[in-house]
Amino acid sequence: MNDTSAVSQIESLGDGAFVESFDETEGTMILNMGPVHPSTHGVLRLLLELDGETVLRCEPVIGYLHTGMEKECEDQNWRGAVTIVTRMDYLAPFFNEQAYCLGVEALLDLEVPPRGRYIRTLLAELNRVSSHLVWFGTQGLDMGAMSAMFYGFRERELILDFYEMVTGLRMNHQYIHPGGVWQDLPDGWLEACTAIVDVMPRRIDEYETLLTRNPIFLERTKEVGLISAEDAWGLGATGPIARAVGIDWDLRRDMPYEAYSEVEFDVPLAAEGDVYARYEVRVAEMRESVKIVRQLVDQMPGGDYKNMDPKITPPPRAEMARSMEAVIHHFKLETQGYTVPPGAAYAAVESPRGELGVYVVSNGGASPYRCHVRDPSFVNLQSLSKMVEGGLVADLIASIASTDPIMGGVDR
Amino acid sequence: METLWLDASEWRVRALALKAQGWWLADLCGLDGAGLYGPGEADHRFEVVSQFINHKSKTRLSVHVAAPGEPPTLPSITDVWPTANFMEREAFDMFGIHFDGHPNLTRILMPDEWEGHPLRKDYGVGKVDIQFKDQPLLQIDSPGQAPAGSKAGQSVDRLGQSAMVTSPLSEAP
Repeated sequence: MNDTSAVSQIESLGDGAFVESFDETEGTMILNMGPVHPSTHGVLRLLLELDGETVLRCEPVIGYLHTGMEKECEDQNWRGAVTIVTRMDYLAPFFNEQAYCLGVEALLDLEVPPRGRYIRTLLAELNRVSSHLVWFGTQGLDMGAMSAMFYGFRERELILDFYEMVTGLRMNHQYIHPGGVWQDLPDGWLEACTAIVDVMPRRIDEYETLLTRNPIFLERTKEVGLISAEDAWGLGATGPIARAVGIDWDLRRDMPYEAYSEVEFDVPLAAEGDVYARYEVRVAEMRESVKIVRQLVDQMPGGDYKNMDPKITPPPRAEMARSMEAVIHHFKLETQGYTVPPGAAYAAVESPRGELGVYVVSNGGASPYRCHVRDPSFVNLQSLSKMVEGGLVADLIASIASTDPIMGGVDR
Repeated sequence: METLWLDASEWRVRALALKAQGWWLADLCGLDGAGLYGPGEADHRFEVVSQFINHKSKTRLSVHVAAPGEPPTLPSITDVWPTANFMEREAFDMFGIHFDGHPNLTRILMPDEWEGHPLRKDYGVGKVDIQFKDQPLLQIDSPGQAPAGSKAGQSVDRLGQSAMVTSPLSEAP
């Protein structure tokens, strides 16, 4: 990628159709895939240099969903910025909120009570399942197995209903706040959560009967979209992409945060580094997440669901009906927010796509001075070129689905 | 978490040394120190903050590198860690920090013809018109300022219409 990059080549050609240029002597073609294409999972645009059906070069062009969320965070108070970060990776909103809140809590030196930590971990693990279900559906759909989409979205609906019950919303929850969570779990959460935990293992078996030994699916995914461990390591790939080439690293196990040190789970690994290996890792991860959720439900502690420091979190509603002090605290928090001591912190969580890090800087004011999000989709997209170069266009579709990029997170 | 402050001149040498010690680049982003440092506290405005992980010792390291000059310039580390490619492009796009030796230092999130660097502190939210390709630009005297001719105390929202500045804090008794 230098001055003769595909992007600058097409600049000179002006607006065209999908085919940007055709080199008659070499027989190569520069083709525009996306940004509006059903299998690019959002507004991802790929500039492809093709020799017939073979991809010679692939250059992701991003920014079509860029809305300046990092800048908007700087205009919010510390609690309000949660509403912004939760919209970044829209399939895994709890992870965005969690990473941001862990960063702010590190700056504030604020402790989250055990119940708050457990609720966050519970929702995050359910979120991993619901996010992987969308991946499962789209991976199947892109490979021609349309029923995978129907099955995946059926169970996702179960989990989304649970979110709605707990947070009031199906996505973009703004449920996790610095210091804990917005509200305690509602009545009936235990039954609803147990129902999900009971039904999921059987349903995951069902998905596997659809795809795992399906000859067409195997044909389309085995030894397709290969990436070596060195490349994945150098390009900063994390999450299932890294674990599918045998990089044994999971932040939940290796640098535990929240309640992960108190539950037992395995980190699924594969060695082949192809689309099928990433499929195996993600399906196994869903099973592990269900295992974690079951343990969290059994071990759910009582007590406060958030840090009750009235300077940081608003008092419970019931208390405001009795106490003038509580009303004043609530008013101050809602109108001015709170200040955070100057400093910088980086907090990372293991999102369904890899390391999701938030770098927050405070200058002592009432809003974040800088809030940078290291989104795994953004970083993982760099390994896509390595996976597809030398392969066929049809295999490119399989590789995009297995990278699982969420453009809201890529472009922020 | 340990933090290192480095000068631009030693960045590449230290980056290679960090790699040899097993540090892995997790994140790299720009930072505008305009509202962060008091007068005399720092002789640079922009810096680049990198986050590293050591997978063996399971520790993290944060490295701040000052980017001196106008435009602020740093050596690129894409050849040390290829993952820095997108990250450095983002820092260039958002802060105008140049990386010497980067293979393709172009805008990554903003449109190619965009002017200015949005995450700089003198680039206000909602105060700059959304500018599309081949459209005449709205003239704004300086970033973050209302255009000439508008009344004092008014700012321009993103549609170019005037709106009264209201600050709930300044009006509180």
